[in-house]
Amino acid sequence: MPTAARTYWLTSPCRIRRKDQSLIIERENADNVHIPITDVRDIVACAEVDINTSVVSLLNRHRINVHLLSYYGDYAGSLLTSETSTSGETVLAQARTAEDPKASMEIARSIVDSCAFNVRRVVDRKLLARPYKVLQESIGGARSPEQLMGAEGTFRRSAWEVVDTKLPDWLQLGGRSRRPPKNAGNAFISYVNGITYARLLTAVRLTPLHSGIAFLHSSMERQRHSLVLDLSEMFKPLFAERLMLRMAGRNQLKEHHFDRESNQAMLAEAGRKLVVQTVRDEFAVTVAHRSLGRSVAYDELLYLDALALTRHCLEGAPYKPFRIWW
Amino acid sequence: MIDAEDVGGVHIKYLYHCRRQLWLYVRGIRPEHLSATVQLGEAVHDASYTRNTPVDLEAARLDFIDGAHWVHEIKSSSRPSPADQAQGRHYCHRLRRVGIEAQGAVLHYPKTRRTQRFPYTPQAEAQAEADIAEVLAVATSPASPDRLARSACRGCSFTDYCWTE
Repeated sequence: MPTAARTYWLTSPCRIRRKDQSLIIERENADNVHIPITDVRDIVACAEVDINTSVVSLLNRHRINVHLLSYYGDYAGSLLTSETSTSGETVLAQARTAEDPKASMEIARSIVDSCAFNVRRVVDRKLLARPYKVLQESIGGARSPEQLMGAEGTFRRSAWEVVDTKLPDWLQLGGRSRRPPKNAGNAFISYVNGITYARLLTAVRLTPLHSGIAFLHSSMERQRHSLVLDLSEMFKPLFAERLMLRMAGRNQLKEHHFDRESNQAMLAEAGRKLVVQTVRDEFAVTVAHRSLGRSVAYDELLYLDALALTRHCLEGAPYKPFRIWW
Repeated sequence: MIDAEDVGGVHIKYLYHCRRQLWLYVRGIRPEHLSATVQLGEAVHDASYTRNTPVDLEAARLDFIDGAHWVHEIKSSSRPSPADQAQGRHYCHRLRRVGIEAQGAVLHYPKTRRTQRFPYTPQAEAQAEADIAEVLAVATSPASPDRLARSACRGCSFTDYCWTE
């Protein structure tokens, strides 16, 4: 997402106050931080945050979203600004596309395919070659989004098993579990997925698309923004699986980074800081973009993918969901 | 979608710059607030000629009019373009419509400290009418106009939208 403004990550409990046109972050055991409002694109709060009306009105005026991650690290909700970027014409086109079973299935199918492609690329090309082939066959014959999701689930299960072979014992997932995550590995994945979801919500809100009208997940069925769920499929492996394998391989993740109880786990304070820092730095990594002819940050890829979908809805340009190309 | 009364300076500017941009703009695609170039333009605008007040003509909003009824427009670029000229012409046209005898447009380029004057002649009036008709034609066309050559898109705030693949 272009411009000089940046994302602020709050990792310790704090209170946000307003002072004229700037924000003051009051932290418990540290100095206050003053931030000019024009420097903020959005805020991800990974710890408890107090906020008041005057802050909210300032944030709203500058179109700044605040994303809140819960105590357990999953996505808890967002303070969203009014939808000033959506355009009626685009939303209508998006709705027409979603209503048309053929058109929406095509998008859903390519999302599932790209997601699996990215998982395979990140986890293990060789070991996942067969599951990927099976997936491609079954999505080719799929008639409904439910069947697509089923096929994706099957592929994901084999991918998680492969991931487990590359992790130390204590970090292994043993199958994906959520809310609350069962073990350390699942806690890590959930946490990073939550952040990806939040970042993608910001990206979608900057485009004219409506975040509730989706193609793969059913629109508005859950309280979540279904379109964001759709788009985050392709990006989850880029951040969650990739970072997990990398951090485990480098021995960066330690057992004391997690609080583990009998049947659930979550990131401890130190672990949370480490993970947030790593993810934040990962979002800033840049790659050369071929058609734009400049380097773009991973963060910007989310926005660009949402724009490509806008173009597909509004103008019928072919939509190719994000695939890792490097 | 829009009619002749809604055509503003931005529409005219985009018509000359890129028809595709105009088509998208009319459909509510407005990525300008994300562009650093646009922010710079706004800053130049805010910092120049601060003693004068802008004039609001509903759809169009011009920088200021002097006592002799010349329309003044401040530009942040250093190079004059036909789009700037067309914008000034359109403002004169709008003013005449509300009964102010606009004499013409003065374009200011603070960056290079140059100004250009364009008197509002009958010829210019015909051109202004034609521009409005052209804007409406582009806006109502069902298919989007093609992209310009890639090299012409430099600095445009719609680049990301048009060229991601």
